[in-house]
Amino acid sequence: MMTKVIEVKDVWKAYDTLEVLKGISFDVFEGEVKVVFGPSGSGKSTLLRVINMLTPPDKGEVLLRGQSLMDPQADLTKLRAHIGFVFQNFNLFAHLKAIDNVSIGPHLVLGKTKEEAHDIAFKALEKVRMNDWGHHYPAQLSGGQQQRIGIARSLAMNPDVILFDEPTSALDPELIGEVLQVMLDIAKEGTTMIVVTHELGFARAVADEMIFMDHGVIVETGTPQHFFQNPKSERAIDFLHKLEVLYGQAETDIES
Amino acid sequence: MRPTSPNQLIGMLQINRIVEYLPDLWNGLSMTMGLYLFALFLGLGLGIVLAIGRHYGGPIVSRISTAYIEFMRGTPLLAQILAITTLPLALNLDTSWRIILQDIFGTPRITVDITILLCAITLGLNSGAYQAEYFRGSMASISGGQTLAAKSIGMTKRQEIRHIALPQSLRRAIPAWSNEAVYLPKYTTVAYFVGVPDLFSAAKLAAGRTFQSLTVYSLVAVIFLVLITAISWILSRIYNRVKIPGI
Amino acid sequence: MQEAIGLLDILLLIMIRGLSTTLALTLISLLFGFLIGTGLALMRVYGPIELQWVSIGYEKIFRGIPLLVLLFIFGAALLGLFTWAGSLTNAVFVAAVFALALRSAAYQSELFRGSIMSIDPGQMMAAQSVGMNQYQATWHIILPQALRLSLPGWTNEYAVVIKDSSLASAIGVAELIYQAQAFTLDYPALFLGIILVIAIIYFAFTYPVTKYVGESMTTKLRELGLGGGK
Ligand SMILES: Nc1ncnc2c1ncn2[C@@H]1O[C@H](COP(=O)(O)OP(=O)(O)O)[C@@H](O)[C@H]1O
Ligand SMILES: [Mg+2]
Repeated sequence: MMTKVIEVKDVWKAYDTLEVLKGISFDVFEGEVKVVFGPSGSGKSTLLRVINMLTPPDKGEVLLRGQSLMDPQADLTKLRAHIGFVFQNFNLFAHLKAIDNVSIGPHLVLGKTKEEAHDIAFKALEKVRMNDWGHHYPAQLSGGQQQRIGIARSLAMNPDVILFDEPTSALDPELIGEVLQVMLDIAKEGTTMIVVTHELGFARAVADEMIFMDHGVIVETGTPQHFFQNPKSERAIDFLHKLEVLYGQAETDIES
Repeated sequence: MRPTSPNQLIGMLQINRIVEYLPDLWNGLSMTMGLYLFALFLGLGLGIVLAIGRHYGGPIVSRISTAYIEFMRGTPLLAQILAITTLPLALNLDTSWRIILQDIFGTPRITVDITILLCAITLGLNSGAYQAEYFRGSMASISGGQTLAAKSIGMTKRQEIRHIALPQSLRRAIPAWSNEAVYLPKYTTVAYFVGVPDLFSAAKLAAGRTFQSLTVYSLVAVIFLVLITAISWILSRIYNRVKIPGI
Repeated sequence: MQEAIGLLDILLLIMIRGLSTTLALTLISLLFGFLIGTGLALMRVYGPIELQWVSIGYEKIFRGIPLLVLLFIFGAALLGLFTWAGSLTNAVFVAAVFALALRSAAYQSELFRGSIMSIDPGQMMAAQSVGMNQYQATWHIILPQALRLSLPGWTNEYAVVIKDSSLASAIGVAELIYQAQAFTLDYPALFLGIILVIAIIYFAFTYPVTKYVGESMTTKLRELGLGGGK
């Protein structure tokens, strides 16, 4: 019996009259990689922000290892440290060198000493192959390098799950590969991940389950094989077709 | 009395008599610098607090900070100084308090009385309102994404302000803040109105005594120009030292 | 009761006499500051190198000297230059205008220059592409845009000048604060009250202008695609 890391239970969210999430439910198990995809505006980013309570939902519940994040008693700040988040625009701390971007969390939030935090950060940088770049400021790094630092910043917190919000869609095409490679590596190490992405090659390689969202609801779920061979819903077929036209078919795996 | 040749002009300005009142100007300058530094740093602390209050505070704190900032910026410094230095008299308080400091040669001669103290405080209270706006501007320019990122790794609001927002916004504020640091020495001259013996007061006395007012005031103008150039230079050095790429 | 009426009378006197002087001093100084400042800015941006240096030097000097020192240079040391104004009252007023206007010109020049420099170079190219020469493009395209961009900055400069006009009381210009001191300096409690009222009057003349006029201009400029202000 595998343990549930995240449970999303009937989550609703509206901005004024705009219903963005309309009853989303799913579970994420230890070591699982979930890929969420769907048209722009379908509510994917909102869903990720709800999961770590950067945006509290109007209705429904999110549980982290059985503990509700909605519980008024819960220390949200503490719980959030268990949920990593990788942003589309990296959002690195502009005044901190790469290594300090990664070590500040372990130091301030996990209470490690400066030296311990530095060691943790260095190991995380090694994982994303950025250990030679620790002493550069974000502005001195390429987009792909910045995103890898963003991933290292999450890894260093040793979270229960990492949420990725379109981590490669702000990158120039030639920089996407290095970031996906790092994500593949950590997925294979057994990191629990929820990834919003349209990189179907990545999904095919490591997704345990794919979730197709449209207009704030989950339209269809299934394995990558299911989606690539015989998706059921009209909307999924349509959307996958559009992606194929855009990116080409996801025939070749990008494993090294 | 129209000057016809450079020699006559020099004769009229009587530049050789400058040595007579130079020591007085020097003493005035130390008072001016004292007022300036006191007000600059009081204003710095107050400005940061007000900016945080206005930018991060709840509705009440933010309104109070805003009201303070707008009122201080919307009224003349002279009115503020006249009002505050009149307070002890108006309230019948004891005004005999004073301390005597040594000058750089060890002679006890710099007196700080209640008026000088209140004047310095008012300059700081006034400067704080202006400094707050420079800091608030730079706080507003920090990207919201970094706030989300700080939250997502579990930082508290306080940690985010202290470790993410302030280090960036304070650095970013330096060029604009330098304006205030350069305006302030000029505005310390308002102390003259309440009888504080600053550089300008010393100049006015010297002008009256020597009947060389054009020379004296021109000399004071030059002193301020040099002072302000030096302050800008120092601040740009500091900025270049703490500057970080991309901020 | 009687005392209250007395206080009101004094206030009214201060208002009538002082406020008109304060406003006249401010507006005349701003106007001359504008004329000189615009000239300086044009010299700095479009002039030959010698004129650029004159403009740079002027800005440095008049931004560096405290207003109070300028007031005493014109209103005491060089007061003889203004005897043509007739009475002593008029002479110190003209001297104060000189000090305020010459200083404001330095700041207005910097403001206007910033606006000119911030106009997209594409505007000049577009104007030339429809056959305007450089002079026409500057006069009809660049400067009108720059003037509009400067509006929010000018509301600030107005606030600075009206507040700093209070310093002219030192050379005997009978503006608001001079009047207050003349009437009530010997009665500290009364003086304090009146200074507070005067502060509120200044506030009423600055805050609405910088806040609402400045802000609405900034929004309007944005709508016009002239991303002015901050
Ligand atoms: N903070 C917000 N305020 C108002 N509307 C928002 C906000 N965030 C997202 N939305 C709206 O919610 C919808 C879903 O947005 P989002 O979750 O970002 O979709 P996706 O990531 O799938 O593209 C969009 O129509 C978007 O405009
Ligand atoms: Mg999105």
